[in-house]
Amino acid sequence: MAVVAAPRADQEFISSTVVREQASLWRDGLRRLRRNRLALVSAVYLILLAIVALVALVWTPYPTSAIGVAPIYSGPSGSHLLGADELGRDLLSRLMAGAQISLAVGLLSAAIVLGIGVVVGLTAGYFRGWVDGVISTVINIFYGIPALLVALLMVTVLGRSFTNVVIAISATVWMDVARLVRGQTLSLREREYVEAARASGARNLKILFGHILPNALGPIIVAVTFVIPSAILFEAFLSYLGVGIPPPTPTWGAIASEGVQALRLSPHILLFPSLALSLTLLAFNFLGDGLRDAFDPRQKR
Amino acid sequence: MTRPLLEVRDLNTHFFTDDGEVKAVRGVSFNVQPGETVGIVGESGCGKSVTAMSLLGLVQRPGRVVHGEIIFKGQDLLKLNKKELRNIRGRDIAMIFQDPLSSLNPVLRIGFQINEAMRAHNKIPRRDISRRGIDLLKQVRVPDAEHRIKDFPHQFSGGMRQRAMIAMGLSNKPDLLIADEPTTALDVTVQAQILELLRDLNEQTGAAIILITHNLGIVAGLCRRVLVMYAGEIVEQGPVEQIFDSPQHPYTWSLLRSVPRIDSDRQERLLSIEGLPPDLIDLPVGCKFNPRCPFRVERCFTEPPVIEEVAADQQAACWVTMKRAYEDMNAATIEDTSPGAASGVHPRGLRPEADPTAALAESPQ
Amino acid sequence: MLIYIGQRVLLIAFTVLVVSFVVFLGIHSLPGNTFVNERVRGASLALLLHEYGLDRPVLVQYWDFISHAVQGNFGVSLVNRGEPITPIVLRELSVSAELGGAALVITIGMGVLFGVIAALRQNTWVDYVLTTFAIIGYSVPSFVIASLFVLIFGIWLFDVTGGSFYYPLTWDGTYGTLIELSVPAVALGLFTSSLVARITRASMLDVIHQDYVRTARAKGLKNSVVVVRHALRNALIPVTSVLGPLIISIITGSVVIENIFGIPGLGKEFINSILSHDYNVTVAVFTMYALLVGVANLAVDLAYTVIDPRIRY
Repeated sequence: MAVVAAPRADQEFISSTVVREQASLWRDGLRRLRRNRLALVSAVYLILLAIVALVALVWTPYPTSAIGVAPIYSGPSGSHLLGADELGRDLLSRLMAGAQISLAVGLLSAAIVLGIGVVVGLTAGYFRGWVDGVISTVINIFYGIPALLVALLMVTVLGRSFTNVVIAISATVWMDVARLVRGQTLSLREREYVEAARASGARNLKILFGHILPNALGPIIVAVTFVIPSAILFEAFLSYLGVGIPPPTPTWGAIASEGVQALRLSPHILLFPSLALSLTLLAFNFLGDGLRDAFDPRQKR
Repeated sequence: MTRPLLEVRDLNTHFFTDDGEVKAVRGVSFNVQPGETVGIVGESGCGKSVTAMSLLGLVQRPGRVVHGEIIFKGQDLLKLNKKELRNIRGRDIAMIFQDPLSSLNPVLRIGFQINEAMRAHNKIPRRDISRRGIDLLKQVRVPDAEHRIKDFPHQFSGGMRQRAMIAMGLSNKPDLLIADEPTTALDVTVQAQILELLRDLNEQTGAAIILITHNLGIVAGLCRRVLVMYAGEIVEQGPVEQIFDSPQHPYTWSLLRSVPRIDSDRQERLLSIEGLPPDLIDLPVGCKFNPRCPFRVERCFTEPPVIEEVAADQQAACWVTMKRAYEDMNAATIEDTSPGAASGVHPRGLRPEADPTAALAESPQ
Repeated sequence: MLIYIGQRVLLIAFTVLVVSFVVFLGIHSLPGNTFVNERVRGASLALLLHEYGLDRPVLVQYWDFISHAVQGNFGVSLVNRGEPITPIVLRELSVSAELGGAALVITIGMGVLFGVIAALRQNTWVDYVLTTFAIIGYSVPSFVIASLFVLIFGIWLFDVTGGSFYYPLTWDGTYGTLIELSVPAVALGLFTSSLVARITRASMLDVIHQDYVRTARAKGLKNSVVVVRHALRNALIPVTSVLGPLIISIITGSVVIENIFGIPGLGKEFINSILSHDYNVTVAVFTMYALLVGVANLAVDLAYTVIDPRIRY
């Protein structure tokens, strides 16, 4: 949209007269990322979260499905740090297990979306013509359908399970990455080094994965980093509405949903999973922002 | 002697960046007479655009005018408040820019943008403004002005866009028009047309023109006087023919020699100036050109030269001057123009200079 | 231009057909049927199924559905025997549209305003505060915010509000007063307005450094004029381009919000119909949604040509 401007007097000034050592894009980007404190804090939080999730694989303070280990609806106490839910299950343990689900859903969805999006986007952008036409139409059709409703329906029809939830989520967010990759491919394929590669007889696949993809990697990584919180949010929505992963699996959304019922009595049942969700989503978003600021080749000033 | 329209005295503009203080314009002083055409010439990054922007107070963060006076029709522009400065902008002093595609708002019609300039400074009824807009477009020789005035910038060609910008600039009959590289983004043939237009407008309206460019040929075509800038300073100024005939500063001399000339001997090699302009955060001591100057002497390394009269109405800032270079250093038949080649003077135990070849090796890939 | 609109309308029609077909098939492939909960068996079940045409082949049923639907008749509800769906759906559509519309106004109004302020005061405390709020706004799940609102306004402040945020399950006349609508609208619009704020800010920052803004300043225009007429107008272009997905966000968000606040809109109907197995209603609602989304997208694309005259179809 914004027209590319000829260098302004002062910009051109600063960049042309300062003869400094030019770090490569990655080193420069990492340096900028390190300076972004919010992104760093977020990264630390997420690492901790991942550790908690891994720990939960083998140990939680109480078994997550054990009913009645604490008085029902009880608030935080010495033996139950986050209190208990309406069936007397320890909330902390359930939340730890919930972390697993959320992270798994997020990462798995992101991986699938990355795979599909890259393949589709590269194909559409590189081969253009009718291939692009068909793919773009499909993408537009998918865009024309409200995501949550599709996911809802998919889960209803296919049944409630972890796999189905991941499939449903992926099916509704892959278009953004595909469109991004397509756009990048379209512009990158005109670059000189692609011409050079083709002239020297490189095969299409090699060009795609050896030249185009590495150069589009920056925005792709950023986009995928934002897919993760979307997926987690999605899953939370589905669980909240009662159509997500079936009980007794403790997902944060499901626990929050239970918490709403008991809002007046024991607000902590809604509060803690909501906090966990919010912090995790915040962390991913800050990190994504940081990544984008760090690796976006456009100068800000 | 009439009072100058514009007197710039000791202008200093610096940029306070994360990497350091960039001293973009240092001690620039010059005058512009009413109706005069002055060119400011120099390489990219020498400070010519920043100088122009400083005149109108358009320098944005992190840049700032740190010292100096800009006396326009008796008033120091640097002492005006925002409102007063705004009144001058677009009305008494107008500025047009390099790339007319990006310098025009893409979502507003051309006519609107021209009329806007007038509306901001005059309280004339809309119909009169519209008519004047069409007249302006005609004046800058845009064909079919009545219809084209309703077009959007992307519907104009490059040359026409620049004409529209000129129309916009002249709409309030300014006393001074500053043109920052107005032809750089255009084809050569269109360049000639625009220059001719500017020349005619200068004669018709009597508006003074400051033309900023890196292209010497353009200066020759339009301006009566020229200022040569290097690394944020004026190194030479004077009447155009005189400077072209006998440049006194080695930089000017080198510039002129590096321009291919139709009448030159085909065997003569095109000479380029070795090296790169200095780092404006970390400037060398003494003359800023000394790392690249073939005629430098010892004094050039320690003392920055002061601008002095070197011929009638011509000033240069150099300890050597081409006069001496011709007399003592065989400048007329010089072959090797690498730094210090003609004078044989190289830094010894003095502040190590920025090695031009090292800078090239580290250039961005 | 007209050709373009025609093409888009065709695409919408095509999409709606495909969507309704897929949904129809999906629903009808579910095990069991609508009447499962009602303990009807054997002959009575067969009779019921026959009465509602549910024993015919799926494709026949679909054809029946779609041929009536294009005439505006969505059939009858299976749970509330015989009650025509169309009037219900239309009524609920108006409710949801009111809610969604309010949310959209908040989205654009608040979003753009805060985005511009943050951009103009870049790197000051104002910027940091606004940016942080925005990030929180699109990170905290809307059901959390909605639940909190219900808690605060519906329960704790019950005496003040008179419980106005619990809505009756029946409906009479147009929906809700501005006050009643404002809380759920904010809960619904918070997510999208935060996104708009972020995008507006980034876009403004980009535009402010453009050459034409410099030209505008050089013309001696007032700062407010430069910001609004020159900068903002261009900055809104990227915002408009995401308006489509944002409207879809509002639509899907309304499903949750209506549920929590008990608002009798399309979203609530959707969930209810799924839970009560009233599949005719489900299909009808879904089709309406698909249509709504298509029209909204087209409207946004047309708005685009107004904002950016370089775009011509």
